[in-house]
Amino acid sequence: MLDRVSHEELMRYLDGEASPDEKAHVERALETSTELRRELTVYKAMKDDLLTLKLATGDGQDRHSVWHAVSRQLGRPLAWALVILGSLVWAVHGLYVYMTSPIFLWEKLATSAIAIGILILLATVIWERYRTSISDPYRDVQR
Amino acid sequence: MGPDVERELIRKCKAGDSRFYEPLVRAYEPPGLRLALGMLGNMDDARDALQGAFVKAFEALARFDLRRPFGPWFFQILRNQCRDQLRSRKARFQLEALDERLELRPADPETGPERYRERAGAKELIWEALARIGDEHREILVLKELQGFRYGEIATILQIPEGTVASRLYHARRALKGALQELGAEYP
Repeated sequence: MLDRVSHEELMRYLDGEASPDEKAHVERALETSTELRRELTVYKAMKDDLLTLKLATGDGQDRHSVWHAVSRQLGRPLAWALVILGSLVWAVHGLYVYMTSPIFLWEKLATSAIAIGILILLATVIWERYRTSISDPYRDVQR
Repeated sequence: MGPDVERELIRKCKAGDSRFYEPLVRAYEPPGLRLALGMLGNMDDARDALQGAFVKAFEALARFDLRRPFGPWFFQILRNQCRDQLRSRKARFQLEALDERLELRPADPETGPERYRERAGAKELIWEALARIGDEHREILVLKELQGFRYGEIATILQIPEGTVASRLYHARRALKGALQELGAEYP
């Protein structure tokens, strides 16, 4: 508390968000409290300095817009859904054809072992690459 | 862009036509980039966050309440995206990169080169101080001072009660004041 003016009241006063009652209250306190006046002066000076900052965010030209990158990504969920759905249908059909084919059981087992082995290898490589990519300290460095 | 136009565009986007998303992206890109740049401190990360936020917003449009304005809702997504990026990546506030992108607002006619240098020095000091304070403090100062949002808008974006905004701003300003003093800045 600063002479019965809370920090929140002071902030609202500084930012022009105080109600008329709050404003009058703070102004009354400012008349009597040097400490409060000094506090407000410091925050005003800081606010003015912050207001002078401006971030250069491009000149609004088309080449700077993220729209193109965004629009490329908007269709991806649908594309992934279609790829996954199509793959699943083919996988189920392939499995059915494979299981009902008139070949020997040992041939089926051997082929299944190879297929499962390849899938496990592929999954571990993908997982390894993913783990490496999220912990790579140089991943943002452009070659 | 008027609220009615905005609502109509969102309605069309909800129907699945992403072409109508472009005007929204272009309208919210400059303030969004300012927010992301203020929070992340470098342009590449800011653009990444902005891009990600626009994609997430589009994907979440089905759940968007058309009676609400798009801006605060989008900035909320963007703010979360920036925070995720700060957490999961090494995208700490990079002052060096930001310094290169600073611009001075047009000087007053009576200000000369001396004043210009003085202001440029003060700005460097402020950025240095902003880099030293916590992400939470910086984000609320960016929203208030660089974006010029009102307390109500800040409350929506940060998902906090409006009454908490003043308190958070007080702590952020006090932290900034401390950082500035550590850097040798003198305030009256």
